Formats: sequence, C-alpha cells, structure tokens
Amino acid sequence: MKNIKLHAIILALIIVAELIGTHTITIGIGRIVLLPMLFALLLGILTTPKFLNLSSQKEMVDASSLIGVTLMLLMARYGTLVGPTLPKILAASPALVLQEFGNLGTVLLGVPVAVYLGLKRETIGAAHSIAREPNVALIGEKFGLDSSEGRGVMGVYIAGTVFGTIFFGIMASVAASTLPIHPYALAMAAGVGSASMMSAALGSLVAMYPNMADQLAAFGAASNMLSGLDGLYMSVWIGLPMTEWLYKKFYKIKYGVLPEEPKKGEEA
Amino acid sequence: MNIKDTITVIGIVSIMSLFSNVLGTKAGIVDSIPGLLILGVIALLGMLASKYLPGGIPAAAYVVTLGCIITVPGFPGSDLINLYVKKVGFLALCTPILAYAGVAIGKDLDAFAKSGWRICLLAIVVFVGTYIASAIIAQAILKSLGQI
Repeated sequence: MKNIKLHAIILALIIVAELIGTHTITIGIGRIVLLPMLFALLLGILTTPKFLNLSSQKEMVDASSLIGVTLMLLMARYGTLVGPTLPKILAASPALVLQEFGNLGTVLLGVPVAVYLGLKRETIGAAHSIAREPNVALIGEKFGLDSSEGRGVMGVYIAGTVFGTIFFGIMASVAASTLPIHPYALAMAAGVGSASMMSAALGSLVAMYPNMADQLAAFGAASNMLSGLDGLYMSVWIGLPMTEWLYKKFYKIKYGVLPEEPKKGEEA
Repeated sequence: MNIKDTITVIGIVSIMSLFSNVLGTKAGIVDSIPGLLILGVIALLGMLASKYLPGGIPAAAYVVTLGCIITVPGFPGSDLINLYVKKVGFLALCTPILAYAGVAIGKDLDAFAKSGWRICLLAIVVFVGTYIASAIIAQAILKSLGQI
C-alpha cells in the first residue's frame, strides 16, 4: 500500500479519464454510455506489461489487494443514497416488495446458461445477481476481484454499464408489446438497482403508455430504491448460496463430476 | 489488514476520489472534503464491524446499512450529512475503483480474453432473467391484490 508508483499511476489515470469525460452515443431509442470509469479501466489495463509496461507485477498485485477497500467508499455513498428515500420505500405496496424476489430469476436462468457456455467459477460472480455496485463489492470481498468469480461479476458489471441503458430500453418495449403483462408490473420490474437502466426501461414504457406516466415513474423509482436496499442482503443470504448450489448441479450434469472446490479468497 | 493500514488505504482512496469528484462533478475542492470524510468514516466503521462483530456479515452490508441509517430523515444530523455527501458524485467514486481494477486486471488478461465474450453473452441472459422474473411476480401480485 506504500507503493507510491502505483498511486501516482492511478492518479494520472483518474485525471485523464475524468478529462475525457462522459460520452453517449445515441442509437435508435437507446444510448450507449461511456463513462470516465470505463476509460480509467481501459487505460489501467494499458499500463500493464502486455502494453506500455508502466505497471509491473508488483503494481498489479498491490492494486488488486486494494480494490476491496476502495469499494467501501462507494458502498458508503450507496447507503446514503438509499437512506433519504427510506420512508417512501417502507410505504410501498406489497407487490413492490415481493417482486424483488424476481431478481433471483437471474440465478435460475443465468447459471444453466453460464455452465452451458463453458464458464467455470466465473458463473458464481456473473450469474448470482444483476451485478451492480453492491454485488461487485460483495464478490470482491468474498473472493477478490482478481479471482474467477471476480472476473465474472466485473464482466457483467462493465457490460451493464456500457450497454445496460440501451438494452433495458429495448427490452421494456419488446416486453410491453409482446407479453401479457401490465405496464405497472413492467415498471416495477425496471427497478433493478441501477438508476440509468431503470430510467431507460421507464422511458420506453412511458412512450408507449403516456397516460400512465406518473404511476409508472413512481413504481419504477420506488422499486429501484428498494433494490438498492435489499439487493445486497438478498445476494448474501439467498442469491449466492442458490448460485453455488445450482452451479454444482449443472456442472455435474455437463461434466459428469462435481466442480473443484473454490480457492479460498484472501481473508478480508 | 490492520486498522492503521485500513485507515491509510481509505485515506489514499479518499484523496483519489477528491480528484475524480472535483474533475467529474464540478464540485469545489473544499465542498467535496466533508462528504468524503463522512464516507471514509462510514467505510471504516463498517469494515471494523465486519471484522470484530460475530455473524460473518460482509463489510459491504455493514457499510451500506450504516450509510442508510444515518441519512434516514429524522436521524440526528441526517440533513447535514445528506447535504455534505450529496456533493460527492456516485459515478465519480467509481473512477478510482476501476482505475485500480484496470491495473489489477492486467495480471489476468489472458483469462479475461478467454472468458470475455461468454460473460458478455451471459450479461444479456442475466438482464432478461431479472427483468422478466420480476415482471411476472409483480403481475401476479398486482392481479391478486386487484390493483390492475
């Protein structure tokens, strides 16, 4: 941690990434969003030995040991985003609370597909949740972000950050025009714990049902806040154990043997 | 990691976040400092709680919960805390994390290249799974409550 060179590199990456700023590319009804964090990630990769060789093995190892702590500052901010809205969440309809269990649909659909695609322990990180910030922190803490599980959660996180907006926008309009599901239910489902994904899905729904705009927005926003609050607990106590269990089952089906035991992550 | 090291790392990350916040959100340097200090203290307390309290609850859960409690309307000082932390942008806090992650990933680039496309494909499945399952449950409950 007293690696001055590493911190100097990071500082330079942050400054360059923030100066590049946020860029959005509009495609049809959706937008691809390129945030400074993405540039910081890519530039960070560029400093490693395969490319510019500014960061050596020592910097890479030190950086991965620090990520766990860096995530805690973000989690603190996350909590303070939820807190002010708590009274509204507690007053929400029971439908809002119960549909949160739909987040477990991720596991039921995601784990079989992940194993089918040939992913190993990446599955645990990638399919246990929709991989927003709290889930990244959780996996980082439990397995380390440089583990297989960490690669899984980071991959889905980045994909969601870049393409989530456009994907949710399209998915909501497709669902609304093809599935026999009420717009209210679709609006609630949009609150997955990411404000940008929720807004995109809601945008599509409001465009299709302008006379319900206020109600749709209220359901979407309340559900999103609720996901922020319970998403982490849901992952800790239900999502992750369920993913591990299902992973073993499907691994056995595909490969005929049980998967190797996970490597123990660094004690936090 | 002992307490002193943890404090040092939180301090370093806070300074990094100060840069990304000032550049990314246009908040002033002085404006950003109280919020970052508050967030740093929340993070530290959460990590200590996870380490020393029984139950094996992850630090992330303690930190989120603590941040939530002290900003609930009615909690002593919540308005002031909220005012300060609002000056710290959520996305600005992500930039330093992903900068460290980028450097760290360099170590496992081959593994990433190997599984990358699969994980991207899986991301789509994950999004569809969450959205459709939530929508079906919401539909069933709203229907049974007679709200639609």
